[in-house]
Amino acid sequence: MRKVAVIGAGMTLFRRRLLETGKEMCFQAVQMALEEAGLELKDVDAVVSGSAPDAFDGVHMKGEYLLDGAGGVRKPYMRVFTGGGTACFSPIAGWWHVASGLADVVLVVNEEKMSSITPHPQYAFANIWDPILDRPLKPNLVWIFAMEMNRYMTVYGIEKADIARVAVKNKRNAVDHPAAQLADPNITVDDVLNSEVMAWPVQRLDISPPSDGASALVLASEDVARQVSETPVWISGVGWCIDSTMWTNRDLSFPEYLARAAQQAYGMAKIENPRKEVDVVEPYDPFDYKELHHLEGLLLADKGEAPILTREGVTQRDGELPTCPSGGLMGVGNPIAATMGIKTGEIYWQLAGKAGRRQVPGSPQVGVCQAWGDLMQFSSVMVMRA
Amino acid sequence: MVGEEYRRWEGDMEALYVYTAGVAGDRFFREIRDNERLMGTYCPECDVTYLPPRLYCETCFSELNEWEEIPNKGRVDAITVAYVDDKGERLARPKVLAMVRFLGANGGLIHVVDLPEEDVYRGMEVEVVYLPRGLRKGSFLDILHFKAI
Repeated sequence: MRKVAVIGAGMTLFRRRLLETGKEMCFQAVQMALEEAGLELKDVDAVVSGSAPDAFDGVHMKGEYLLDGAGGVRKPYMRVFTGGGTACFSPIAGWWHVASGLADVVLVVNEEKMSSITPHPQYAFANIWDPILDRPLKPNLVWIFAMEMNRYMTVYGIEKADIARVAVKNKRNAVDHPAAQLADPNITVDDVLNSEVMAWPVQRLDISPPSDGASALVLASEDVARQVSETPVWISGVGWCIDSTMWTNRDLSFPEYLARAAQQAYGMAKIENPRKEVDVVEPYDPFDYKELHHLEGLLLADKGEAPILTREGVTQRDGELPTCPSGGLMGVGNPIAATMGIKTGEIYWQLAGKAGRRQVPGSPQVGVCQAWGDLMQFSSVMVMRA
Repeated sequence: MVGEEYRRWEGDMEALYVYTAGVAGDRFFREIRDNERLMGTYCPECDVTYLPPRLYCETCFSELNEWEEIPNKGRVDAITVAYVDDKGERLARPKVLAMVRFLGANGGLIHVVDLPEEDVYRGMEVEVVYLPRGLRKGSFLDILHFKAI
């Protein structure tokens, strides 16, 4: 397989509602990514579009709808979809286009316009459940997360305050992100613990917001990357894995599917000891406890250890393992697939030394990004090197 | 087994949507509502004018900031006559629909033609008829129909 680099990234503002159509948001993100890569649309060989359920935007076959805004007209074009996991999975699809030799330059464009669905995106989530076994109970999406979070807390004896620290860290980190929707420089653990209870133990400030937004990456073969970029960031390992769709057949306290995806990615990247070798990580954090869950699934913390690392400051931007230096979904926002901009995009900017006020110290060399989705039992992982 | 014997449940996938007009669409519909005119965006790089207008050129990806008025005179390019509605129900009166292209514009508009089927033909010249001012809301239905010139 050929070497593949990320040579440009871009993203729109993340906001509860933007005037821009989905196509227009895609255009804005692509324009930024191409500009950073020093390329034009005519240099692009193929385009990968990533987006979560059509039900958010309210346009069926959204991939086709977004085509011209994503720059895919008269080019090989495909949409990939793994729910929230699309945030790191469409970059993997872009990677295989280049690694296989099919294309030298690929655009990856992710989009979500969650403001279209009213009164709330919950109306789409209400229909992801099994119509026979789950829907008669009229579940809210938060319920299942609440059970998972509770199971995680119970098995490892975790205090809610130690989970709330993730929300505080990420919302504070987001102050340095120009696209952020929910940055808060003054938020405290007490604010999180005193916020409205949605489904115990999940409270309002444990959850990321729904957002409109788009993000884009430019991927290139080694030849092209070395010609046009002074700071290519190499994709050195990829992995993905999905567990049973039956909630009742999963281990809720540990994301085994993620550990498998991570092992696949580490194996390809020749990472033997991730805890020692990974310098910066962007795990998927739609809920504060998910960052902890995912650090453990990524084998960057022992089971039940991530809250302790968080309490000790290890995961702060200047800590030993900077985690979600972007501000994450908790702080920057959660336009599902478009969070690629704060996962793969952020690791690219961090390793390229272009993260500005968010830059973690010590010129990081190895980064990991991860996303999670489908029916909350899928993960995609990418290892990147400066 | 046949249908009646199956154990089954009813459900729906209920959702209401609010779609934003977009940056280009916002001006397009304001111009129709306030000024009764069709406006397109021009790409100097590719020498193309998009109707409906777009924020970007799909070919070179330039951001388009130049707006041009499209003369209200088009030609019918393709026609269909609909006998059923969007739910598959029989229409009381068949609906003639045309794709109309405008001189100098890339793209065009699809809308109803206010003529009997037998009077509409490919190549015929038509113009846009707008709803009266005051009834216009800044949407695609501010365009009432095409009529023959």
